[in-house]
Amino acid sequence: MSTPRATLAWFRAWGRAGRFAFAAAAAALSFSAYTARTRAVAMKQVYFGAWQILPGFTLFAALLSLVVIQITITLARGYGLAQFALELVFRAVVMELVPFLTALYVALRSGAAIVTEVALMQMSGELDELRASHIDPYEREFVPRIAASAISVFALTIVSSSVVMVIAYLVTYGASPWGFAEYTRTVARVFGPGALAGFMFKGFVFGVIVAVIPIAAGLDATRNEKSVPVAVMGGMVRLFVALALIELIALAVKYV
Amino acid sequence: MEREGFTPVPKNLQFRVGLLLGLTIMVAAVFVIYALYARGVFEATQRLTLVADNAEGVSLGMDLTFSGFPIGRVQRIALGEDGRARILIDIPRKDAKWLRNSSIFTLERGIVGGARIRAFTGNLQDSPLPDDAVREVLRGDTQEEIPRMVATLRSVLENVEQMTGSGGSLQASLANVRTLTERLGGRHGALGAVLGNEDDAKKVIAAIDRANALLASLGGVSRRIDNVVGKADQRILGEGGVVEGTQRAVNQANSILNELRESLKRVDKILADAQAVSGNAKAATTNLAALRAEVDASVRKVSGLIDEINRKWPFQRESEIRLP
Repeated sequence: MSTPRATLAWFRAWGRAGRFAFAAAAAALSFSAYTARTRAVAMKQVYFGAWQILPGFTLFAALLSLVVIQITITLARGYGLAQFALELVFRAVVMELVPFLTALYVALRSGAAIVTEVALMQMSGELDELRASHIDPYEREFVPRIAASAISVFALTIVSSSVVMVIAYLVTYGASPWGFAEYTRTVARVFGPGALAGFMFKGFVFGVIVAVIPIAAGLDATRNEKSVPVAVMGGMVRLFVALALIELIALAVKYV
Repeated sequence: MEREGFTPVPKNLQFRVGLLLGLTIMVAAVFVIYALYARGVFEATQRLTLVADNAEGVSLGMDLTFSGFPIGRVQRIALGEDGRARILIDIPRKDAKWLRNSSIFTLERGIVGGARIRAFTGNLQDSPLPDDAVREVLRGDTQEEIPRMVATLRSVLENVEQMTGSGGSLQASLANVRTLTERLGGRHGALGAVLGNEDDAKKVIAAIDRANALLASLGGVSRRIDNVVGKADQRILGEGGVVEGTQRAVNQANSILNELRESLKRVDKILADAQAVSGNAKAATTNLAALRAEVDASVRKVSGLIDEINRKWPFQRESEIRLP
């Protein structure tokens, strides 16, 4: 494959992902998407994508943030900037690192599963059968997965961020309750209404992307079984790039 | 789903997912409420407006501190109609007691970190700061101070350079100092240095020599005067001196006067007798003769005594005290 053609294919894949996102959004907004069947699919997806991994992921986030917070606060104290340490932890770990890690984790786990599943459905002709029997695969299969993925990422982000905030308090002040006033002031400085809304919106977008790009990539597969690994690989790479891009844009909006 | 074959879907799937969603929503709601509480949404506040020439470094959400404790938060920064920055600060009512009418507000910028707004209250008994108060803020800016300091330092260095340069005033002063120290080290030392030339120094030394000689002769004179005074002392106050003689004469005069008094008493008595017994003329006459002789003798003695006193009294005009 020559380089220009590869580049073109790369752009076209992104274009398909974008088109799929619009179509999925339209389907999600249509009332007929909300049936008992789609709800069951969504619930299963949330169960596998969030409930099962919640303890493990929270523990992982707690351990990672414990180390990062400890390093940040020790270094800040060393430089005589202890008053900025907690704010730095909130801004860097709670608002950026934890949501991004959550999205990556769910992408690795559910994203990979979704793209493979959709690619196999495409290969086996299951989706064509659905279409032939006048069932919209968007409403039946895709929208529930997207919604479930958004809920999963959002829930994991919220829970692990809360745990990290508790850890930040414990690392900074120990078990003493007297740091609470200062902690509250730092929270007030960092989590303004705009920052909170941005934080939640970012979590939601991460969750949607984690489902949208893999499904769009899975649809790239053909009847040929060789196309499945290619579709999975392309989907995962695009997913990673998209997540990184969203994170970059969020940072730029906040600080540039 | 392919996975269903490997991981069975639990029976209470709905409950678990509901629990997760409920937990998430609850945590998110609690956090939002906590953040709002932290930002003082549920707290009664009063407004304070600080007016500054320059609000650089002031950011929304910044603290107003009192004794190092945050008691208020910057809510808004606006440019007033007069072109000055207006910093609107919300102060919780419970913390407003630290601010009084006489409180002073400063806006400082350090080299590291953002600006700091601080309040100082000298008299906590003063009347409380009213709501919507407008106060001037005093500005102290390290970053602004540095260029000024550098400019001052540069002019100081220029002055120093001017002074120390060749032909500068410091060089001339040093040359003068050197001449002075040379003269100090010369034959006439400090005197030469003070007078400037050797001739004058010589004159001064000669004058001092003469003054020394004069003082020596004056010493001889004063010694002699001492001798004279000592002798006069002895003559007047010493044994057998004027004072002692006078004392003796006074003693004698006392005894003579006593005798005289006795005589006069007797005269009294005799006169009384004479009056009483005027008839006894013979006896009276005899007594009178004796009495007259006695009175005469007494008067003579007194006159002699007076003469002697006069002679011995050194300050009498006709004194005959002779000094050696």
